[in-house]
Amino acid sequence: MIRYLLGRVVGGLITLFCVTGLAFFATALAPGNPAAVLLGNMATPERIEAITRQLGLDQPLPIRYGIWLRETLLGNLGTSNVSFKPVADLLAAAAFPTIQLALTSLIVAVVIAIPLGLVLAQNRNRWWSRPASSLITIGISVPGFWVGLMLIVLFSVTLRLLPSAGYVPPTKDVLGNIRSLVLPVTTLAIYLIPSLVRFVRVTAISVLREDYVDTARAKGTAPAAILLRHVAPNTLVTTITYIGLQLGVLISGAVVVELIFSIPGLGRLGLNAVLNRDYPVVQGVVLMAATGYVAVNLLIDLTYALIDPRVRAR
Amino acid sequence: MSDLATTTPPVRRSSGLLGFLIRRSPLAVLLVGIFLVAAIFGPWLAPHSMTDTNLSAALQGPSSTYWLGTDPLGRDVLSRLLGSAQVAAQAFLIVVLIGGVFGTALGLLAGGLGGLLDLVVSRVVEVLQGFPTILVAIVIVALFDPSLTNAMIAVGLAAIPDFARVSRSVAIQLRDREFIQAARGLGAGEIRILWSEVLPNMIGPLIVIASFDGAQAVLWEASLSFLGMGVQPPAPSFGSMLREAQGYLAIQPVFAIIVGVAVSGVILGLNLLGDAISDYLDRGGK
Repeated sequence: MIRYLLGRVVGGLITLFCVTGLAFFATALAPGNPAAVLLGNMATPERIEAITRQLGLDQPLPIRYGIWLRETLLGNLGTSNVSFKPVADLLAAAAFPTIQLALTSLIVAVVIAIPLGLVLAQNRNRWWSRPASSLITIGISVPGFWVGLMLIVLFSVTLRLLPSAGYVPPTKDVLGNIRSLVLPVTTLAIYLIPSLVRFVRVTAISVLREDYVDTARAKGTAPAAILLRHVAPNTLVTTITYIGLQLGVLISGAVVVELIFSIPGLGRLGLNAVLNRDYPVVQGVVLMAATGYVAVNLLIDLTYALIDPRVRAR
Repeated sequence: MSDLATTTPPVRRSSGLLGFLIRRSPLAVLLVGIFLVAAIFGPWLAPHSMTDTNLSAALQGPSSTYWLGTDPLGRDVLSRLLGSAQVAAQAFLIVVLIGGVFGTALGLLAGGLGGLLDLVVSRVVEVLQGFPTILVAIVIVALFDPSLTNAMIAVGLAAIPDFARVSRSVAIQLRDREFIQAARGLGAGEIRILWSEVLPNMIGPLIVIASFDGAQAVLWEASLSFLGMGVQPPAPSFGSMLREAQGYLAIQPVFAIIVGVAVSGVILGLNLLGDAISDYLDRGGK
């Protein structure tokens, strides 16, 4: 158990190290001297040289990476080249909408996909099993952002029920917050559900072939009880790992959904920073998203170890 | 997936593959066929220019002149869809080339040689697998410029773990089979065995992965171009067309619907093709 967790923590740290390295070098290699940018029209060659030395920019890259890492750990992420606000403040403001969107969508997707997958596995020999599988393949193939556009056409343009863009913070108006999130969350959930259903269905079918399921059946346990008591828990354990793997998909999906619905989250912040070549912000967003990705994966591994005694025993 | 290698005999020509695919999944063959024809012959088939604007004919619905209507700048949607198919095919090729070459080489060496190399490659693949592609794309596009190639390099990197996983597991299964031992007995070196004995036997599973990752490539090309990180205007692409369509959903929703159906059709075709080829291999090509 300890070894298992230790391995996970080390793996997570390696990922973070690689990603922060990548984010750092993306900025370090970018054209333009940050000292000159900082000084603006007050720049003289002497001043640029002084600031360059002050910022440590005359040092070799590995040392600069060390300095950057230290500053980052202290929470000093630099200043945006465009808005001149501290990157840490920009990230803090953008984090909440993103987390609210991603978490709500994930919960909605899981709550819908797991029962659906179990029912499909249980009824895999019914006539409607094949069309249901085809529907899942279609769901996997349709781009999520197009689903978002179609939801806007239906609910905002035609029915005029929900806003097509914008985000209302819950501190300002709770009902408005919910209304502003219905379409984005639906879009992101529809994006996540098909592959999750497919995974749960395949896993549950293999669990249904286990000996203990045969034993339960032989004892005369009702099919529904077998599904709930034996199949569901065993399927769930594997599904949690799968959700960890899908986290990257969730993050990527959230970026696209934020852009469609003009949600002022991390995705939109990062995207605008890329297109404006605002490197400190790009760095901050990549750092934050990667840290979140690694942290949640670690949390999932921990949960996995806690609910499955077979992992704990290792 | 795991029994693919054992059911694929060492030398097999895919003689009946097309026949099987047409019987098993005619929709896949139809969709991928249309995609290929559009990607290869698009520029000759296009009834109008892909880039010439005509504001007096903007945002029209389907008509006899413009079969699928026009976009906000009055360009013919059908012609631009044909151009988009070509862009999607380029995306497919870049991603499958990067993922296929690097991923297969890594998996082949790791699975075939084992030892420390296998340990390192497996860990790296495990860590990279599932890492948000969008972050890789953001870093690459921030470093260089938004373009189809740069965006697709990010997606290709994300495809490496898929190819590495499959080729590694096939290599491990084959490592100690009789025909490999025979080659070893004849004095062939390990690298040579991997190249000329093991690699040809994993072509089937690799084609399946290429089909699924190719579908992902088309999806990602559309997504990244939609975000402005891929194909740049005025060049057509499924994603950039949908981006243009978003601003006019209230005026001409047909534009967004047509483009979405087209890109979904391409991705669906590739996914169904992957399923069908996988079935074909599972049945030993019968």
